Amino acid sequence: MRIAVLLKSVPDLIEDIPIDEESGEILYDEMSYIPSEWDDQALEEALLIKEESGAEVTAITVDTGESDTMLFTALAKGADHGVKLVGDFDPSLPNRQRAHIFSQYLGPQSFDLVLSGVQAIDDIDGQIPGLVAGILGWPHASVVTEVRAHDNRVIFRQEYAGGLVAEIKVSTPAVIGVQAARKPPRYASIAKVRQIAKSSQLEEVEMSIQEVPSLEILRFYKPIASGHAEMIDGDVDEAVDRIIEILQEHNLMRG
Amino acid sequence: MTGQEGLAVFTILIFAGATAYFIARMLPILRVLRKARATDRLDNWPSRLGFMLGQVFGHKRLLQKRLSGILHFFIFSGFVILFIDIVASIGQVFVPGLKLDAALAFIVDLWVALVLVGIILAVYQRAIIRPERYHGSDEKDGYVILGMIGVIMVGIMLHESFYPFAAHYWYHLQVRLDPWEFLGYTLGHLWLQTGMASTPVIAEAGYITGYVLDIGMVFAFLAYLPTSKHLHIFLAVPSIFLHKTRPAGELVPPLTEDAGMAIRTFQDMNWKDVLDVFTCTECGRCQAVCPAHAAGQPLSPKMVILELRDALRQELAGAEPRALAGDVVSAEELWACTTCGACQEACPVFIEHVPKIAGLRAALLEDGEIDKNSQKVLVAWDRQGNSFGQPLRRRPNWTKGLDVAIKDARKEPVDWLWFVGDFASYDPRLQELSRLVARLLQRAGLDFGILYEGESNAGNEALRLGEYGLFESLAQKNLKWLNEAQYRQIFTTDPHSLNALRNEYRKLGFDKPVKHYTQVFVDLIDQGRLSPAPLGVRVTYHDPCYLGRWNRIFDAPRQLLEKMGVELVEMPRHGPNSFCCGAGGGRIWMEEDGIKERPADNRIKEAASLEDVGYFVVACPKDMSMFSAAVQSTGNDGRMKVVDVAELLAQAVGLTVPDAELAIK
Ligand code: SF4
Ligand code: SF4
Repeated sequence: MRIAVLLKSVPDLIEDIPIDEESGEILYDEMSYIPSEWDDQALEEALLIKEESGAEVTAITVDTGESDTMLFTALAKGADHGVKLVGDFDPSLPNRQRAHIFSQYLGPQSFDLVLSGVQAIDDIDGQIPGLVAGILGWPHASVVTEVRAHDNRVIFRQEYAGGLVAEIKVSTPAVIGVQAARKPPRYASIAKVRQIAKSSQLEEVEMSIQEVPSLEILRFYKPIASGHAEMIDGDVDEAVDRIIEILQEHNLMRG
Repeated sequence: MTGQEGLAVFTILIFAGATAYFIARMLPILRVLRKARATDRLDNWPSRLGFMLGQVFGHKRLLQKRLSGILHFFIFSGFVILFIDIVASIGQVFVPGLKLDAALAFIVDLWVALVLVGIILAVYQRAIIRPERYHGSDEKDGYVILGMIGVIMVGIMLHESFYPFAAHYWYHLQVRLDPWEFLGYTLGHLWLQTGMASTPVIAEAGYITGYVLDIGMVFAFLAYLPTSKHLHIFLAVPSIFLHKTRPAGELVPPLTEDAGMAIRTFQDMNWKDVLDVFTCTECGRCQAVCPAHAAGQPLSPKMVILELRDALRQELAGAEPRALAGDVVSAEELWACTTCGACQEACPVFIEHVPKIAGLRAALLEDGEIDKNSQKVLVAWDRQGNSFGQPLRRRPNWTKGLDVAIKDARKEPVDWLWFVGDFASYDPRLQELSRLVARLLQRAGLDFGILYEGESNAGNEALRLGEYGLFESLAQKNLKWLNEAQYRQIFTTDPHSLNALRNEYRKLGFDKPVKHYTQVFVDLIDQGRLSPAPLGVRVTYHDPCYLGRWNRIFDAPRQLLEKMGVELVEMPRHGPNSFCCGAGGGRIWMEEDGIKERPADNRIKEAASLEDVGYFVVACPKDMSMFSAAVQSTGNDGRMKVVDVAELLAQAVGLTVPDAELAIK
């Protein structure tokens, strides 16, 4: 079983998002980037499949800047190959284009399974797994947990509102958007990442940009708060009185 | 062959056999030692020797547990005396008529009596008192050893008392009962009275039986030793000689390129670590002081050592090597350690538990196995340089609200550089405290500055979680400014940062003097720059592990309290025997699964048992968080208040304490 895991980095929201006052555009170059947490989940699931039933895991990313550490980290965690799709790309690259680049690379390769995070915090024009599956014309499922793969049989779960779970089988090759791995993503120690960075090679593949239908962002801005939270001061008794008062005001008290 | 010749042949055979067997069983251990990593333990040998003699003949650590120390001293000294007896007894066989002079003979008998008393005390301790610290030790081995020693003593008395009667037939000598050999003398008279002495068969049989029990058992003992905790008879003394002399607080010595911190096999340990596992006496003193053990967690430092030892023995016996981290010693045990160092402080043979635990953690971590909360903290340190996962630029936010701005040591020279630390910078409650410290220093007119956004977490806990790479990258970030800024010396509010800067940064070439804020305050008062008025309160003081045990700073906080007119009532566990708050070694971020009683709660109860003590004084930001919570959870709020020494000092010098809640009285 050959598994491809598609990775991307996203802005680190711990830092404020810098916005150009005049144009209302995000200053992509001024942000710091971290691996998308859902992609981490997808990678973990791929590694768990590898440990469970054997697989060759390739971590792939479109190089929009600092992607080496992300790939070396994937290798340190147990991925077999790291592939960097290079070209004239920057962090503002829309997902639609990103998906085309991934698909261009994946198409001629013989992967059985493509896993990626079900979403990322900066999915402006759609989610990667769905787009890639659409471009390649491969089967696709989204919001998936517990992917298991035994000799070209891929079975996974989807959970629905109301507590229903489906077990689904898909023929390969398929693209799956992973919601959560069976276990929290493992840690890659810094020393190990460093050592991997010294001892292994990333594969670099030249890619071109393709024209795709695009959106036009008019501006980014901070929403104006529509209401305020009330901070309740005072000792416990005063606080309790105030809470009861609020509940009564909103007709939330019974009896 | 005469009887005498027979006895001589027996002696030679059993001596040769036992020695050969002993050596054969020790050789594999030596081979493991030789394959282990290097560590320099022969430097500065005169001071090592002096230290060793004090510990061996003064029994300094052993006597910390009175009964055990005394009984051990009896039995231990008995072994020295035993040599005299062996020489004399065997000598008699080969040189008929050989005799100890009166004084030596008396000493041997005296010590036979003392050893017997020691054995009785030891059995009493094992069987009746049954201290918890023995839980998990090989009790059988303990009794076997005591039994063997007992048999040897009986043997000595037997052959000594029958010798004068048997010598006549056996060696054709006339020997009299010697009153100096008071045990033999008394028993001999008993044999005379009962007529046994005059029956040649009985006299000879008594003598030979005694001889075989004595000398035979001595060699049987030798043969038995290599698989017994009693191997410490041979290893304890060298082990104490080889004790660690590098700074106590340095967890990891400078690493070479190809040798990481992780311990996966016995080859990844240094040879002293390997020696340690065979030296362990199973006394359980380390277990008795371990906060994780007391909290009901699966960790006991003794069991870590014994598990490693047993695994190594199995390997030597030909078994497949097992993974040391995660299998031989479980992940739960390893992550439960607070790295408080109480175990090392208690161990009479100076075994170093913490570096082994940290090395094993490093192996787990390399395999990606770590508690998920701690993993988040590691990621936060890597990305933002603090455990709170807050932006780096907010690190100096706590300084807002100060009337006088603190100098930026990156931009102008200062006398003192204050390394603030994560908790004091980001934790809202502790920020207040940091401002108070700043105001005290400003009041004293101290020329000091901080590194603002140039400071990152010092990396002490990253290292103790086994993440050497992260420690190094955090240290490099700090060193960029620590090396560039102009200042004379450093002080920290946080003992964990203090430890890293003082002991762990050395291997990266940093050697500025590092002090604790309590030391700075003491100096300021001595120089008359702060004049505290007596507070007249009764308090107790908690020694933080990373200030006290690991850096031996016990006096400064106490002096400071004294200068503030504070009456200090010590808790039973204080100074080097202080009891950990439970936060160290990364524990502060980990799940509390399986904890029956939190170490901090245990500690607050100890303090609450002191009469009329209303304040629990701390000198570490983490302690403030840990113990404030513990005071509440043990229902002691109202009775006891956790205060930082700086809060007391602020009060004493008449600074307004901003948070009314902090004000004492
Ligand atoms: S360092 Fe402290 S917590 Fe860790 S094993 Fe030793 S005594 Fe127990
Ligand atoms: S490690 Fe030291 S303190 Fe602990 S049981 Fe062994 S000898 Fe005793």
